[in-house]
Amino acid sequence: MSAIAAKPAGNAGAFQPVASVIAIILAVIFIGVAYLLGNTGILSGGAMAPMMTLVGIIVGAALIAFGVHFVPVGGAPAAMGQSPGIATGVAMLATGAGLAGLFGGAWAASLGFGVALAGGAIGGGLMMAITCLMVNISYVYGMGIPAASGKVAKDPITGDSQAEYKSQGTEGHGLPFISYVGGVIGGLFGGLGGTLIYIQLLNFYNASFAAVGIVGEDAPVLAVGLAGIFAIGMFLVIAVLSAYNITGTIEGPHDPKFKRFPRAIVAAICASGICGLVALLVVAVL
Amino acid sequence: MQEIIIGIGVTALAGALAAVAGAAEDTESNIGSQGDPNSQVQLAPQMGYTHRIYNKAVSGEPPAYTLWVTLACGVAWAFIMMNVNAVLAIIFGTVLATFVQGIYATTAYLGRTASLSKFGQPVFIDVLKSVTTVTMGHAFVAIFTTVTACYLMSTVLHHPFALPLLGVVWGLALGAAGSATGNPYYGKERQYQNQKFGAGVPISASGNIVRYAEAGQRSSIDNGFFTAKLGGPASGLCFGLIVFFELWRTVLFEPIANGWGAVVAGVVIILIFMIIDRYVEVWARKNYGPYTAAATEA
Repeated sequence: MSAIAAKPAGNAGAFQPVASVIAIILAVIFIGVAYLLGNTGILSGGAMAPMMTLVGIIVGAALIAFGVHFVPVGGAPAAMGQSPGIATGVAMLATGAGLAGLFGGAWAASLGFGVALAGGAIGGGLMMAITCLMVNISYVYGMGIPAASGKVAKDPITGDSQAEYKSQGTEGHGLPFISYVGGVIGGLFGGLGGTLIYIQLLNFYNASFAAVGIVGEDAPVLAVGLAGIFAIGMFLVIAVLSAYNITGTIEGPHDPKFKRFPRAIVAAICASGICGLVALLVVAVL
Repeated sequence: MQEIIIGIGVTALAGALAAVAGAAEDTESNIGSQGDPNSQVQLAPQMGYTHRIYNKAVSGEPPAYTLWVTLACGVAWAFIMMNVNAVLAIIFGTVLATFVQGIYATTAYLGRTASLSKFGQPVFIDVLKSVTTVTMGHAFVAIFTTVTACYLMSTVLHHPFALPLLGVVWGLALGAAGSATGNPYYGKERQYQNQKFGAGVPISASGNIVRYAEAGQRSSIDNGFFTAKLGGPASGLCFGLIVFFELWRTVLFEPIANGWGAVVAGVVIILIFMIIDRYVEVWARKNYGPYTAAATEA
């Protein structure tokens, strides 16, 4: 059975209240642990600083998880022109966009919180805008196929009808305009969330190093390196987790699978809680 | 002022390096069948079509290129710290990463193809010998240019990330851009030349890839020849534009309005790309028209 023929079982994608409540409780426990660690002096900066850092990380992760659902991904079927979307994996593409955003956000970090977040978001959106355009150019000029979606009758933005442009025996192909816009929005959210995580960690590490007397030229370099590595790591965790929620392909915000995003956000909140705690504890032994 | 002019020059150079990297990356992955279309290469023997196409995808291109570029960046960085000349250091790093890519390619091809032995798919040693070195050559070009671009970002443009961390970011972005843009052309236009041009591949045709070239059986090196015409340059343009605009908007517009200039420039560039995309979409609809029954595949 090919990937495209594999249909998700029964209630896959349904919101599960019990599991979600447990995940949220776990996340609250992680935030409480950060508060306690700060209060007891194991993490520097007092009780509030570690807690607020962790909350920022969790918010960033939730933004990434939400953003991933916008990115139109068709995987192997898209490469054959069998389904719309970009012909690669959800996790890889979302991470690529997010890291491009993180690159811009980290560069602008010295200019202030707002500029860094906006710079990160735009970096991710720009990467997706260029990638999506080149994907459509490949389809149109390389393979002679117009964009068509199999999931909606009309493009929600342009109103273009889809069915008559769809090749027989396929679920559509290319990137209809709604998918293009979805890709850019996904890149924006990814870059924004990744940069938020990076800045939270960077500020916390800088403060921790200063508190224990690690100063000089190497301290900021170490802080940037650690924050960058953990931000990238957390990006991969959330993107992979969201990719499992999507299971295979998604066309963008108009795809029925898009409605599954609350489940990914809850999972991201829980996962980033524990990952963020580990990231904070890296400097606890100092 | 001088700093900005140098910044613009480096931006252009990094963009050009990235364009070469993207083109080499896509050609490398097409010769080695590492992108998403590898599922069709893996599927073909199960549908009764044995072939001589290389297949080295264990994970996708983005994680693989993250590994190779980061490895090269890390080794180069270590040598630079030891005061080795930067050009030599980057070459040392790239050579090591290319050998790792060669080992990866060999084990992946043997492993994946051996798993298909129950469907009668043989392991062709001549394919292994001829194709592996060709993918290594392309990988060298892709890795070297990406590492050089990262080095420029780190030293001349003063990005806060260290060289290996820039390797992670741009290695993944290279794989993602190349995989997204180049895969359809290799997957549909190359592997399914038995299907009509100007339509998607029907799901029922999955696995029925073209296995014969003009003279004898097709090998993966022919794929490089074919996809270097459009898929490779398109991937190169994609990655080159990403690197160029990401750097350009920052270098030129960040001094304006305390950094908000770069954000506004980014929004304008995104909107321009959006308009171009809409134009391409409408152009395709007007010129190709709706799908007609006459184009139906048997």
